[in-house]
Amino acid sequence: MALLETRGLTRLFGGLAAVRDVDFTVDKGEIVGLIGPNGAGKTTCFNLLSGFLRPTRGSIVFDGESISGLRPHQIAARGLVRTFQLTTLFQEMTALENVLLGLHLHSGTSARRVLLSRRDFPPDEIARSREVLDFTGLASHADQLTRNLPHGHQRVLGIAMALAAQPRLLLLDEPVTGMNLDESGRVMELVKTIRSRGTTILLVEHNMKAVMGTCERIVVLNFGQKLAEGTPAQVSTSPEVIQAYLGTGVAHA
Amino acid sequence: MRRAIVLVVLAVLAVAALLVPLLGDYYIHVFALVFINIILAASLRPSLNCGQLNIGHSAFMCVGAYTSALLAKHYALPFELTLLAGALLATVVGLIVGYPALRLRGVYFAMVTVAFVEVIRLIAAIWVPLTRGNSGLSGIPKPNLLGFTLVSKSSQYYLAVALTAIALFVLWRLERSRLGLTWRSIGLADNLAQSLGVNIAAHKLLAFAVGCFFAGVAGAFYAHFIRFLFPPEFGFLVATNILVYNFVGGRGHFVGPIVGATFLSLLSEPFRGSAYETIFFSIAMLLTILFLPGGLITLPGKLAELRWWRATAAPTPSPAA
Repeated sequence: MALLETRGLTRLFGGLAAVRDVDFTVDKGEIVGLIGPNGAGKTTCFNLLSGFLRPTRGSIVFDGESISGLRPHQIAARGLVRTFQLTTLFQEMTALENVLLGLHLHSGTSARRVLLSRRDFPPDEIARSREVLDFTGLASHADQLTRNLPHGHQRVLGIAMALAAQPRLLLLDEPVTGMNLDESGRVMELVKTIRSRGTTILLVEHNMKAVMGTCERIVVLNFGQKLAEGTPAQVSTSPEVIQAYLGTGVAHA
Repeated sequence: MRRAIVLVVLAVLAVAALLVPLLGDYYIHVFALVFINIILAASLRPSLNCGQLNIGHSAFMCVGAYTSALLAKHYALPFELTLLAGALLATVVGLIVGYPALRLRGVYFAMVTVAFVEVIRLIAAIWVPLTRGNSGLSGIPKPNLLGFTLVSKSSQYYLAVALTAIALFVLWRLERSRLGLTWRSIGLADNLAQSLGVNIAAHKLLAFAVGCFFAGVAGAFYAHFIRFLFPPEFGFLVATNILVYNFVGGRGHFVGPIVGATFLSLLSEPFRGSAYETIFFSIAMLLTILFLPGGLITLPGKLAELRWWRATAAPTPSPAA
């Protein structure tokens, strides 16, 4: 059964349809890529799925429940967690604090804990956060301020925070953009490991090599509409897709 | 080591605070006002950490002050009850105003709080049968705590010290807890906080309500200490001063507003109540923005940096050389 299913998903900005009648599904355990040229509607799609935008029309069903119109924190609470493009992180906090915030949904706080405890955070929350940092290879940077981390580490930290929220479906927004070959290779390995631990993944990415090497299925958007869908091999040889990326001139040549 | 330094500093400050009454009534008065300002400044922090610029904090002090004063005056209720009633009513008013207003961000929220503080001041000025309006509310009894009336100024001063200690302890624990971390996260990147499951509307409201509660506490004490309430003393200018304490002291650490409130209240003491007070606060704010954007709490670090520069610029020959 599909973990995530959109039907006729549409979002208008004024008269412009940023996303129009997009249907696609993500099955449990898959790694699905969402690609398309600039302005194709990928980011709008992500914002719709994660509740930062409301769909104008259409439905989003996550694990059998309609989530269209819910607010972002409600969607996160249902197990659909997203990351952000570039470095949207809590820059003035340490890496550990960032991951502790990722645990928000799985933490408790009480008046007794706030006023009478000698520790700021329960040891099990610290331990879980360190585990996540360890898993993502950031353990040695736990106490550094996020803004002092190198770019690649910051991107991984964004994934680590989302992981701490224990998502069933993880939406990754351009996880390897701006990374060198070595770094992006490591992040894509991490993505595969995350999937093998039971988290389904939907990712938007510009880096074709990363997408083709990681995703089992790819959905191509162009001008807000679904252009093609299939395995990396099918998509990369589809004439429509080549045309969308390279322009008509080349397709006719 | 760092913990030991903090404890020593706290102990010295505590002893100093307890010795103030030896200096006489004038200093008792001045320092009691300092403590009120410390509570006000520190209680603004939860909201500021959420990224909400509240320029109307004195409105909640006003609600706490009038509530406590009127209950004590007309119903002879003890201070512990009137204090609680004042703080709770300030919280309730905060929740009612905050619920719609906190949906606004940045300067829009700030403008609502400015409007709000003026509305509360006007209500206090116009509702003459209840508040005596701009003639001022007098005849407020001295604080009657647990059956004892605190007759002397010094006993009232110790009450201020105790209230400040309790307020700061609670606010500090909140800031260090997961709640405090969550509030800061909203101030730093609210979209990311939401995506991690944080209900930002609810958290902003909670932080705001906590601040209102302690502003109410400060107001209630103020009412029974000064024993005369006058609406203009809770206006927009007082609210901006509370904000200035935070910025001049420093936004980066819990002690910022405490340092700011202490420093500015004492330095502005000669101008208290005069037009020069506003000028003084404006200059303090300007100087901070220009030369010490992180506030007074970053001063030791800056000085150390300066000394390091001097040392590297003119190296002194070492004895070994």
